[in-house]
Amino acid sequence: MKKIFALILTLAMVLSLAACGGGNSGSGTSGDGGSTPPADGSGDGKTYKVAMICDSSVSDGGWGMACYNAMIDAAAKYGWETAYSDSIAQSAYYESIVSFCDLDYDLIYAPGNQYTDAILQAAEEYPDIAFALLNGGADTPAKAANANVTSLLPDAQQVGWIAGILAGLMTETGKVAFIGGMEIDTTKGKYAGFVESAEYIGQQEGKTVEALDVVYSGDFSASDKGIEFAKAMMDQGADVFFGDASAVDSGARQAIDEANAAAGSVKVYDIAQPGDFLGQNECIIGSQVTDNSGLVGLCMEAVENGTFGGETIFGTMQNGVLSAGAVSDLVPADKQEKYQSYLDQVMDGTFMQ
Amino acid sequence: MDSAFITNLILASVRMATPLIFLSLAELYSQRAGLVHIGLEGLAAIGSLAGFLVSLITGNPLLGVLAGAAVGILVNMIYAYATINLCAEQIVYGMAINIFAPALAAFIYRVYFGAGSELVQVGLMTTLSGLLGIASDNFLVRLLLDQTPMVYLAYSLVIFTAVYFNKTKSGLNYKAVGEYPKAAATLGISVVGVKYAASVICGALAGIGGAYLTTCYSTTYTDGNVAGRGFIALAAVIFGRWSAGGVLLACLFFGFCDALQIRLQVGSYGIPYQFFQMIPYIATVVVLTVIGMKKAGPKGVGKPYLREER
Amino acid sequence: MKNKFVNILVPLISVLLAFVVGCIVMAVLGANPFVALQALWTGAFGSMRNVGTTLARATPLIFTGLCACFAYRCGVFNLGGEGQFIIGAVVCCFIATRSGLEGPLAIVLCLIAGALAGGLWAAIPGVLKIYRGQNEMIISIMLNYVATLFMGVVYTNWLRDGTVPQTAPVPDATKLSRLFGLRVTTAFILALVTGLLIYYFLFYTSKGFQLRAVGLNMTAAQFNGFAVKRYILMSFIVSGAIAGLGGSADLMGTQYRLINGYASGYGFDGVAMALIGQLHPLATILVAIFFAVLRVGSTTMQAATGVPTSVSDIIQALVIVFTVAGLAMVKLPQFKAAIARMTEKKEAV
Repeated sequence: MKKIFALILTLAMVLSLAACGGGNSGSGTSGDGGSTPPADGSGDGKTYKVAMICDSSVSDGGWGMACYNAMIDAAAKYGWETAYSDSIAQSAYYESIVSFCDLDYDLIYAPGNQYTDAILQAAEEYPDIAFALLNGGADTPAKAANANVTSLLPDAQQVGWIAGILAGLMTETGKVAFIGGMEIDTTKGKYAGFVESAEYIGQQEGKTVEALDVVYSGDFSASDKGIEFAKAMMDQGADVFFGDASAVDSGARQAIDEANAAAGSVKVYDIAQPGDFLGQNECIIGSQVTDNSGLVGLCMEAVENGTFGGETIFGTMQNGVLSAGAVSDLVPADKQEKYQSYLDQVMDGTFMQ
Repeated sequence: MDSAFITNLILASVRMATPLIFLSLAELYSQRAGLVHIGLEGLAAIGSLAGFLVSLITGNPLLGVLAGAAVGILVNMIYAYATINLCAEQIVYGMAINIFAPALAAFIYRVYFGAGSELVQVGLMTTLSGLLGIASDNFLVRLLLDQTPMVYLAYSLVIFTAVYFNKTKSGLNYKAVGEYPKAAATLGISVVGVKYAASVICGALAGIGGAYLTTCYSTTYTDGNVAGRGFIALAAVIFGRWSAGGVLLACLFFGFCDALQIRLQVGSYGIPYQFFQMIPYIATVVVLTVIGMKKAGPKGVGKPYLREER
Repeated sequence: MKNKFVNILVPLISVLLAFVVGCIVMAVLGANPFVALQALWTGAFGSMRNVGTTLARATPLIFTGLCACFAYRCGVFNLGGEGQFIIGAVVCCFIATRSGLEGPLAIVLCLIAGALAGGLWAAIPGVLKIYRGQNEMIISIMLNYVATLFMGVVYTNWLRDGTVPQTAPVPDATKLSRLFGLRVTTAFILALVTGLLIYYFLFYTSKGFQLRAVGLNMTAAQFNGFAVKRYILMSFIVSGAIAGLGGSADLMGTQYRLINGYASGYGFDGVAMALIGQLHPLATILVAIFFAVLRVGSTTMQAATGVPTSVSDIIQALVIVFTVAGLAMVKLPQFKAAIARMTEKKEAV
């Protein structure tokens, strides 16, 4: 009797929760890819399928979300079906990938270098399936026994430059800050690019600009760490922030907004990535935008044409994957002009030459 | 080491200690009734989500906190029923809550907002100085007035708890249940009643502790935002010798370690950051070792109470 | 006899209940529960390869389950299985990638060193409990965090290999050999042998009997002149050694390198397995395999139906919630009395 009661209680709770959510968002879960209309109706009637695996949540408002939406956008363009597994533990990477392989997905998309081992293992066992590794190593495709792995690699240095130029132009205190999530090479590369470009701009503009040492939150979900890091770094005089730590960045922006509100005017700025987040927070003066959907789209095209595999596709400003987002009114017109001209130099390959 | 560094460090310590105070008091009330609860991490996770959702929908962070408390109680009733009525193993039930509640929270967030949703941000509770319209850089003003009502609630609860457990008859009866449940029962104390009351208080406080994170601290909800605070709270109770005052000191100490850890990282690149992150945990082990265990916790903690064995 | 029957029946019913709840949730979300259950089955047993994956997944869980089981038998809560497992893997990684040794000799050395390291790591809470009266749960949980962060230092700094925070893989010659070419390796055999040895020790040796006596009633054991403190320390060290051995074997068997997120949750999983297995080493192994089935299967289930990953987490939590409650319920005096009354009535009729 008591047990039945306990069961009913649990059931009622779960059901009511499920029910109240279910009505709210019909498109909450994926798997309803059948409703995606084929965009260009080309091809032989086969509907291709792509699956994404991710260790963070695809609703994290940061990295996971950006990568998921990249897949959705690309799939909408090419008329593919999509599915995903998110928030998976490290021990389940391989199993999740293989699950989708067994379900005959055509392309497996894994956004992060941490999936390399699992992808290579699965790629060896499933030679007919295409595997795309976002931020994968440049040498990874060569390691795949069946040449069915492609690395998608946005140029970290250019990412850093796009933010660093704006930071160098905008800093008044001469101190810029960078908050990293994990000590991965793409993050280190972004930091290095950020520092060298900000310092270079300082020299060009006749002021000294230096970057505080990079800090790492150690995980991508601790928005409270972002708050504390930003406060500590503002105490050290930093007034332009850039970061590569997903939800931690949002915490940093919150702290910056609070400090600006207390000071009565916006004096400390943040540069967002990887999407155009202008307007999300008051302090955001610009964004470094990475068009991952373009990269995923290239993979889809290659799969449809049967030409997939074995290459590393770099994402740069030159091929349109990297760009600068809209700039806020807080940036004076003359600095906006300078920003554009420096970005043109990056485009020409003459920046810092 | 200028004065700004120190004042900011103190402010950050207080900021980071507050959620720990709620969680540690939750653990204290549970353990004082003989229920060791390692599932606070889970209760806080679901409380944090409830607080976030309700304050987003209603626009009122206080309602969010109440919702966090209500959901905390609800989920903790699973633990209470199983450990009190069925005499199930408390440790493993706490762990089950730690798996169940965060998964439920992640599930609700996903179903509510959908996959690939934009970052959702919620307004935070206003601080007292904000309500009064005081804006000052003075350290004391910032420390004493620039705090949300929840901070005052946390410290009031510490005082209330200290008085309750030491000065009131009801509090002494409560403690008796955690020490010698059978003796307490012969004195006419309803052991099961006290244990359920403890579970309600524990669930509410843990839920509030979680809701604090999303209504007073951070404007966003992310899966895993409790980040080990539930376990730190468990340590704080033992560290604080099962007394309200001791628990408060322990929480402030842990808050200090965390704040220091972050500031050390900002200042000195070169030392692997993980060493800084270890500070609160190693400090716990070291301090516990040095001060020893002169006074043990409630004797009946972790043991089931079978009414029929009276 | 009847007891054993109940002990098997309760977990089965609990699992069923958990799945009923899970299926209802999935149905509400618009997924077909039958497709889901079929996918779960295929995922775990659909092919020989899947069976191999499932057993590989079970291997670390068996080790941490046995780790928890052994300590609990002596009445101490070792919640530090995760940290001990990680320390074992870290030491193994050092030797495998830096000693210059390869092959069988390196494997044996790694296993021994991993077990020693795990045992030493577990000795910390053991010593602190005996000599400083510390709560072993807290200390071992704190040490889990320290071990995880320490592993972080190792893979981001000391043994970092190339562009990402991870160590180099163990050399091919030091990898444990696969069974029938599947993902499961000799580490699984090692886990089974460890379980059998523990079973033998606990139930067929006098030391094992004394250890269990300490676990059942510490005061009485002390009264009978058993060296209670020594048993407590020993149980910590051995249980840590089991976990450390597991970490070492898992690193050389399936994981090959240290990486962020490695072994996360293994310790608590182990505690749950041991308790559902009712602290019996062999039952713990079965429970660990069952949970591996559930995990591997639910990955496929999630992929096939598109329900959020958290649904399979919820189902797994409910399995624990229902099983532990059910097992506790059948041990209640009221329940036993009710059963007795029912059987009496039957006899009367």
